[in-house]
Amino acid sequence: MLQKKNLWWIAAVAALALFPVVEKNPTYMAIGFFTLVYMACATSWNMFSGYSGYISLGSAVFYGTGAYTMSLISIHANMAPGAAMFWIVPLAGLAAMVIALPFGWIALRVRRHTFVVITIAVFFIFQLGASNFSFTGGTSGLALPYITWGASYYFVPFYFVALGLVIVVTIISAALRRSRFGLQMLAIRDDEDRALGLGVKVTSVKIVGFTLSAFTVGMCGALYAMEQGQIYPQFVFTPVFDVSIALMTFLGGLGTLTGPLLGALILESSQQWLTISFSNGSLYLILFGALFLLVILFMPQGIVVYVRQRLSRKADLASASDADTGTSDVALSGGAR
Amino acid sequence: MNTKRKLFRTLSVTSVAAASLLSVAITSTSGASGSSLAAGAPVKIGISLSLSGDFSADGQAFKQGYELWAADVNKTGGLLGHKVALTIVSDASDPTQVVTNYQQLISTDHVNLTFGPFSSLLSLPSAKAVSRYGYALVEGAGGAPSVFQAGLKNIFDVSLPVANDLVPFAKWVTSLSAASRPKTVAYVTSNDPFTQPQVTTIIPTLSKAGIKSVYNHVFPAEVTDFTPIADAVAAAKPQAVVLGSVDVPTVSAFMQAFEQSGFTPKVFVATGGPDQGSTFIKAVGLKNANGMMVPNAWYGGSANPLSKKMVAEYIKKFGGTAAGVSSDVAEAYSVGEVVAQAVKATHGFDNAKIIAYLHGKHTMTSVQGPVKFNSLGMNVTPTAFTFQWQGKNFVQVNPVNDPNSVKVVYPKPAW
Amino acid sequence: MNSTALLSAAKDGLLTGSVYALMATGLTLIFGVMDIINLAQGILVILGAYLSYALQVHLHIDLFVGLLITIPTMFFVGIVIERAFIGRLKGPEKTAMSILVTYAVSLLIEGTLNIVFSTNDVQLHAWYVDKSFALGNVHFAYIYVAGFVLAAALLSALYVMLYRTRFGASIRASLADQTAAALVGIDVKRVSTICFGIGVAVTAAGGMIYGATNSFNASTSYDLISRLLTIIVLGGMGSLGGAMLAGVGMVFVGDMVGVIWSPIWSSMSYFIVLTIVLVIRPQGLFGKPVVRVA
Repeated sequence: MLQKKNLWWIAAVAALALFPVVEKNPTYMAIGFFTLVYMACATSWNMFSGYSGYISLGSAVFYGTGAYTMSLISIHANMAPGAAMFWIVPLAGLAAMVIALPFGWIALRVRRHTFVVITIAVFFIFQLGASNFSFTGGTSGLALPYITWGASYYFVPFYFVALGLVIVVTIISAALRRSRFGLQMLAIRDDEDRALGLGVKVTSVKIVGFTLSAFTVGMCGALYAMEQGQIYPQFVFTPVFDVSIALMTFLGGLGTLTGPLLGALILESSQQWLTISFSNGSLYLILFGALFLLVILFMPQGIVVYVRQRLSRKADLASASDADTGTSDVALSGGAR
Repeated sequence: MNTKRKLFRTLSVTSVAAASLLSVAITSTSGASGSSLAAGAPVKIGISLSLSGDFSADGQAFKQGYELWAADVNKTGGLLGHKVALTIVSDASDPTQVVTNYQQLISTDHVNLTFGPFSSLLSLPSAKAVSRYGYALVEGAGGAPSVFQAGLKNIFDVSLPVANDLVPFAKWVTSLSAASRPKTVAYVTSNDPFTQPQVTTIIPTLSKAGIKSVYNHVFPAEVTDFTPIADAVAAAKPQAVVLGSVDVPTVSAFMQAFEQSGFTPKVFVATGGPDQGSTFIKAVGLKNANGMMVPNAWYGGSANPLSKKMVAEYIKKFGGTAAGVSSDVAEAYSVGEVVAQAVKATHGFDNAKIIAYLHGKHTMTSVQGPVKFNSLGMNVTPTAFTFQWQGKNFVQVNPVNDPNSVKVVYPKPAW
Repeated sequence: MNSTALLSAAKDGLLTGSVYALMATGLTLIFGVMDIINLAQGILVILGAYLSYALQVHLHIDLFVGLLITIPTMFFVGIVIERAFIGRLKGPEKTAMSILVTYAVSLLIEGTLNIVFSTNDVQLHAWYVDKSFALGNVHFAYIYVAGFVLAAALLSALYVMLYRTRFGASIRASLADQTAAALVGIDVKRVSTICFGIGVAVTAAGGMIYGATNSFNASTSYDLISRLLTIIVLGGMGSLGGAMLAGVGMVFVGDMVGVIWSPIWSSMSYFIVLTIVLVIRPQGLFGKPVVRVA
């Protein structure tokens, strides 16, 4: 049974890997790249916010830190533009983790509601700082070494690196969930005081979880910077990023493993496509807003859980009417809420 | 079947289906976009503009300029006998979107040529994106130094490079006699790659002439309430104010705050806003506009015959007066003119040849005056002018020696 | 810099801060009574501003007179939003859900405003907006003073309602403890709905003053909501007095920083002050202390 489940994951990965082979149009390659980036970021965000219940709206801090790390290093080290710049990506992830430590230490001392607002405040500090300090280029931003790969295959390397990130972060997220550390985070989500009473080192678990979640987001920011060739503070430190990954995760299913992946897949690709097809930005806002309202009101736990519940209801009905025993596992739906 | 397996099957099938749907639903592209066109086929020009978001007012004006040019060209038979068809998409002033747009225009819509977006912020990413396809990007609104520092070969800005915009103004103010010259000046500018270089360039000139700086600060670009800043400027009582503003709302907010403080500077020059014609007057009123100065390379009353023709057509199509025509319209129009000349000279739509021609040190004409590019893509021929609102007219006042300049209204009349 | 500059900055901070205090009070009232974080508060302020704008430009109704129309309108809008979307939220994740729901609502409103009014910046105009009177060297613009008076009047009216009426008592009861309030027979659901309406109605007044002193379009709401959120957190979420004090305090600090140091750091000082205060006192100035060891 376990093998069969893994087979489906492998099939999904294979499909994603084959996509650039089948689809040559750079516009859609770009959509694919951005979708993968958001899938990785949403999964990473879910790793902390989903498992611990502390909703953070400040992960753009990590994204932007990663982007600026990539830019500053490649510029000041006078790097030749090209694949060598990929080596900075993990460094950017580490930089994001370094930022996450004091950020988490300050932000995680408060209740959940206040935590959300502190993450927003720290985010604005970073955005304003990047816009006004000279070493970050101010509002002119930073221009990275110009990569001259041909137009038709420009996105291919980025796509595969992003796919690699998605795979890595999903594996980490899955492993975390099954580990003792992950259980501690889930315990915090369910009842923090009781967890504390049971001996869980609540503060350090939260800070470690928060820091871990920064790693992949930082790497994604670096990838973005490298791909764009140009970053501006208000576009790498953007509140839209924060809310998007939260929404994608909620859409898919907060706290589940496949939820963020599914949510990002659906939302990011449709958003990119919508903006290309309907240039009018305002119509897109309305559609987006309406979609979210519908999902949140009718599928408040996300698509994954909703589907799971419908299926389990069908299975219950089926096994009730069947004389057969059927495989009646206790569905491991814990963690979904 | 147990629910977990069913669930994963559903999800995996969905992702596989999504991936294959994406690939199948799209017709793959093949073949380069033509540098040769079938006879009678329109020549497609792809443009991304800020039709919403921060730069939307300018984006709309740019659209008018591009469309006016296209209509004029088509009236005379089009480019090399091919009618011009503009494909304009909106980028909401977002640099990521602008890259996606140009990629879409080139690889999916197969446009033959690309014109530039509005603002230095967007010009650079656009140029990088289109240069991967070997396309030229001729634009009219990306003149900040950062645009040219990247060393791209395919970007060409037909408008005046911004850093020297205020030099004629500085020359005039320092040429006044020591008695009538303003004694103090306040420099207040938005944190923006367009405004800051202009203001910083003239600071040494003015201080050498003995004009003391009593306020010199940069404010964040995202400020919405300018009153505290304007109050601080007014409290310093400068006789001259050099405001680095990008748009009408900024300059009108400062004017309003100065009026509320009962403060009128003797000289008030703003780097952006007063050149937006009727948009500016609608926001501040003619009486307050009186005496406001602004640098630019072009204005509605320009004596340039090409410009006069364009202004007349603009008024016929959109109404208003010559003074009400925004300089954005002229910038966009010039882009079309320059590309048209390059196309005619190279007898085709081959971007590589066009780029080579534009780097060939030829002098071309436009409604904004002569256009000649240096190796970085900057237009080195135009001079900056300073304009001023006098009564209901918008007139040229600097350089003082220029035959078209009239006398400056100095000091600025009270609000 | 001279004393005039300092006094001007202080004056600006106090006058403008009162308007922010008004808007923030609405936001914190909603949170205190309903455990809802209304992220749409920013765009609702802008909506109020646009309503005043439309009344003035198309029907030539004076800004202050127009409030007689816009305040009840926004109250009604608040009731509708609460009934349609917020009221359905229940359970332990109510607050987190409310963030998403109100954000979605704000997207809808923003998109609609962009289509109806375009994205060009506008500002509310009236003959008194440009005029001022002087006290010594410091000039007081009429519009700012009027805004201050209006904010003070509305906040006083709110105070009177809360502390002198029966309905106000039921609001305060719900603020203190919803379960206990329900147990003594207070219709908490009705109180919540009306509170939400009140919280939104104040945005009509705040919006008018804001629109007369700033140029705005729909996307200005992002800056607004981030300031309002920091204000209520600083004051202590659910504390009305805290919101008022923090509202005035934050703007005051921002303006003073702008004149003493540089306008660049004005905005940042907001968030830095918040962070520092929260490190020392996680519940904000007047918030309920969190009973926890960690």
